[in-house]
Amino acid sequence: METYDAVIIGAGNAGLTAGAALAQGGAKVVVLERHTIPGGCATSFCRGRFEFEVALHQLSGIGTPEKPGPLRMVLDQLGVMEHLTFMPMSDLYHVMIPGKLDILLEPDRARTTATLKHHFPDEAEGIDAFFDLVYRVFGEVIGAFYFKDPDVHRDKYPLYFQYGLKPLQAVLDDHFRDPLLKTALTPYWTYMGLPPSQLSFIDMAAMLFAYIEFLPFHLQGGSQALSTALADRIVQCGGRIRYNCPVARILVENGRVTGVATAEGETIRARQVVSNASKIATYVDMLAPDQVPAAVWGELKRTSISPSAFTLYLGLDQPPEALGISSSTNFILGHTDADMAYARMKDRDIDHRDGMMMTCYTLIDPTFSPPGTSQVALITLKFGDAWLQVPPAQYAAEKYRVADAMLQQAEQVFPGLRTHIEEMEIATPITHMRYLGTPRGAIYGFEKHIKDSPVFLPNQMHIEGLFLAGGWVGGNGFQPTLESGFKTGQAVLRRLEMHQ
Amino acid sequence: MKRDIAQQLEGYQDVLQLVQAAETLGEDFSSERGAVAAYLNRLHPARLSLRVSHIQMETPSTKTFRMVPVDGVLPPFQAGQYVALQVEVNGIRTNRPLSIASSPSQTGYYDLTVKRVPGGLVSNYLLDTIQVGDHLASSAPDGSFVYNPLLHGRRLVFIAGGSGITPFMSMIREVSDRGLDRHITLVYGNRSEDDIIYHDELTVMAARLANLTYVPVVEQPGPAYTGEKGFMTGALIEKAAGNLNGAMVYLCGPSGMYDFCLAELQARGVTARRIRREMFGPPVNVSRSPGWPAGIEEDDHFTVSIVDGPTISARAGTPLLNTFEEAGLAPPSQCRSGECSMCRVRVMKGRVFQPAGVPLRQSDHRLGYVHGCVSYPVEDLEILMEARR
Ligand SMILES: Cc1cc2nc3c(=O)[nH]c(=O)nc-3n(C[C@H](O)[C@H](O)[C@H](O)COP(=O)(O)OP(=O)(O)OC[C@H]3O[C@@H](n4cnc5c(N)ncnc54)[C@H](O)[C@@H]3O)c2cc1C
Ligand SMILES: Cc1cc2nc3c(=O)[nH]c(=O)nc-3n(C[C@H](O)[C@H](O)[C@H](O)COP(=O)(O)OP(=O)(O)OC[C@H]3O[C@@H](n4cnc5c(N)ncnc54)[C@H](O)[C@@H]3O)c2cc1C
Ligand code: FES
Repeated sequence: METYDAVIIGAGNAGLTAGAALAQGGAKVVVLERHTIPGGCATSFCRGRFEFEVALHQLSGIGTPEKPGPLRMVLDQLGVMEHLTFMPMSDLYHVMIPGKLDILLEPDRARTTATLKHHFPDEAEGIDAFFDLVYRVFGEVIGAFYFKDPDVHRDKYPLYFQYGLKPLQAVLDDHFRDPLLKTALTPYWTYMGLPPSQLSFIDMAAMLFAYIEFLPFHLQGGSQALSTALADRIVQCGGRIRYNCPVARILVENGRVTGVATAEGETIRARQVVSNASKIATYVDMLAPDQVPAAVWGELKRTSISPSAFTLYLGLDQPPEALGISSSTNFILGHTDADMAYARMKDRDIDHRDGMMMTCYTLIDPTFSPPGTSQVALITLKFGDAWLQVPPAQYAAEKYRVADAMLQQAEQVFPGLRTHIEEMEIATPITHMRYLGTPRGAIYGFEKHIKDSPVFLPNQMHIEGLFLAGGWVGGNGFQPTLESGFKTGQAVLRRLEMHQ
Repeated sequence: MKRDIAQQLEGYQDVLQLVQAAETLGEDFSSERGAVAAYLNRLHPARLSLRVSHIQMETPSTKTFRMVPVDGVLPPFQAGQYVALQVEVNGIRTNRPLSIASSPSQTGYYDLTVKRVPGGLVSNYLLDTIQVGDHLASSAPDGSFVYNPLLHGRRLVFIAGGSGITPFMSMIREVSDRGLDRHITLVYGNRSEDDIIYHDELTVMAARLANLTYVPVVEQPGPAYTGEKGFMTGALIEKAAGNLNGAMVYLCGPSGMYDFCLAELQARGVTARRIRREMFGPPVNVSRSPGWPAGIEEDDHFTVSIVDGPTISARAGTPLLNTFEEAGLAPPSQCRSGECSMCRVRVMKGRVFQPAGVPLRQSDHRLGYVHGCVSYPVEDLEILMEARR
């Protein structure tokens, strides 16, 4: 039987940074991953002459060497920065409602506000006030929490206490009149999965601040390059990764973790286990009901599962210019009603009421596709529930039907797109369920309602020795999950030292 | 965060009420136990248990094995997909991808048609040993050599060689069963008349269906043969299918056929977008592939040391995956063509030969990860195998 200091379940972003932090800290660690490649969401696949990026559209938190973002510092400490080539993206985003709205924003505060004022001259004052608020609120958040002020109180951080629990919509309504302007400022709500009426203002402020100040980035080789580099770091530091090795059960004796059992029936001993699998899989599938403390059931019950996504990965036989694609990140929307778009996420179908994002990777870096071609992804959020109702025998036909509907929407903006498709892969919520193992194919963990922010739902240890890391126990997206694993790895290291 | 800080946030009490309501009214996720696995098992089971219900002799070198589920139902598939059939031959645990030849509308069985490869390990075993009633395991259907209704249009040209007919047979049978509006020209090459699989069924179907044209091509026919002879040239394909402009051309067969036919098609202006090819296994004589290092014979042997494992001897002309299997340390595998990534291993030291066109991720390339099923040792190697079956 093998014995380790720590076992990590899953080689997603958080599992990999936790593993790298532990291996580098001298712990004897093994990462067990169901698939044959590291990354979870952060991966790629090949079709024909294309390598498709699965999940990463815009990486936050990198910043420049002169002004490093928090993620750059984590990756630096993990020793992978020097093996990767990060590229800043020149666009914040291009947001469109055909015939009504067409604005390209840059990751620069002055230029972004100027562009918005140019399009909405009557709202100039509100625009300045809104960005001022975003920056000041977020400045307070950084002071209070990132720098861990021991003495956080209302007088020192008035805006945080005022806005900490406010929905984004209320703040938008305070500042703006034109619904088009509100829409132009907030397409990033889809990065969190909740419309402005339900999303916390602080979460949007954090995204705008992070992407404008530290710029959106991508990297050569896509997110798979990052995953592979982290996995390599684990191995170089003496850790192990085992692929094709699903964990079936977490072993608990006398209320504390003692190891895991793989699906093949092998027992691996460790007194610290980090689960990068979903919180539901961890507590509901890998543990027996009587091993799970009542508090966990309470936590689970109060939350709801986030949407999954419907994605078309396209390899096109023309360069972006020839197809009329000029920006890397495009939000193609049908209207200004985000609540309707959110409601539509429960429906399998795609029509003019659904918004979508189109990323053209080749514009970020030409090595994303062979010379003379482009790699493009079209993505829209969809809950998994409606897809679970499709009978298996109809699944393939349904995939094509919805893909067709999505292409029709995209062709409103990029006519003739479909006549240039050389390779196409369709990912539905079922695809995400298959590759991530998440309930209903969720890609953002639990929904991040204000009531589920860390203020009300901290990531607590419920079983001695069992840590959870990743998108189900904190912020979602690349930066938060990579940081979550790193912090968890450090916490495990501290415990290991304590035990010695 | 400290509770007293939270309580001072504006709106705290209102949100707290939402929390309490959700704790009472929220969803009970304990019912999710096993739900993901149960759903996926209907669509993509990890393993299928199959029983041979019938064996049909197709040609002197080919048989069709009709496979029925031992229990439960077979998962659906798209015409053109394959299963990896698992076998143990001479103590070697291995598998081979086999395209499903029956129609997807036939939900009761999968037909697997196997052609003998002289000296081949598995084809000979299947043809010579497997009997009706035998049990075999396989993967679930997989693969992307399928018809895409959004892109491929109505005019399809199928170019098949030898056992490469099998995925097309499934597609043609589906078009026939379901009365689909697709116009198919099948150009099917074989060494001799005796090698043509499904000749009678194809002849009958082509006579019955206005939208199917069937053109067998025989390389070395006997004196009585009257059909098309020689290679499947571009001129011959055009003669059979008409103008290739606007048609979708699918290829499936041995590697030599690809090299020849792709050049013929390109010369006629058929673009990459209009060509689909199935990866039909490793090249037959790898040392004849472009880029094979001079001075190395297929029968040369190199030493392969596996990190935390044994050191074995590996033949240059044999894919590493096969060598691993012979040594009893197989990584997982499925497509055996470099596509599915299941057999990914890392070359820590030494060099392997990989035929051109084998897909590999940029980052894998940088760190020395390769697909063992299409990698050949051309130096002594050190291999890190991070996945075991
Ligand atoms: C289509 C798509 C687009 C996205 N776009 C963006 C974007 O542009 N920007 C952004 O920041 N974020 C984006 N995200 C979100 C981001 O990718 C995720 O939040 C993040 O990658 C999640 O990381 P994680 O570590 O929580 O878990 P995951 O990536 O889910 O990894 C979990 C790992 O655990 C493994 N595992 C699960 N169960 C077991 C088990 N029982 N045994 C062994 N292994 C197991 C899984 O196989 C997987 O490898 C996107 C996600 C998707 C799917
Ligand atoms: C996606 C896919 C679908 C397939 N579908 C079918 C099918 O429906 N019916 C079928 O009969 N085969 C099919 N094959 C080929 C099959 O998987 C095996 O490669 C074939 O049966 C030979 O296996 P073997 O164990 O007998 O030979 P091996 O022991 O693997 O090979 C021995 C020698 O034969 C060469 N060789 C391997 N395959 C072939 C081949 N096809 N033709 C000529 N020489 C070869 C090898 O390079 C080697 O030199 C398919 C392959 C793929 C990748
Ligand atoms: S078995 Fe699929 S890549 Fe090797």
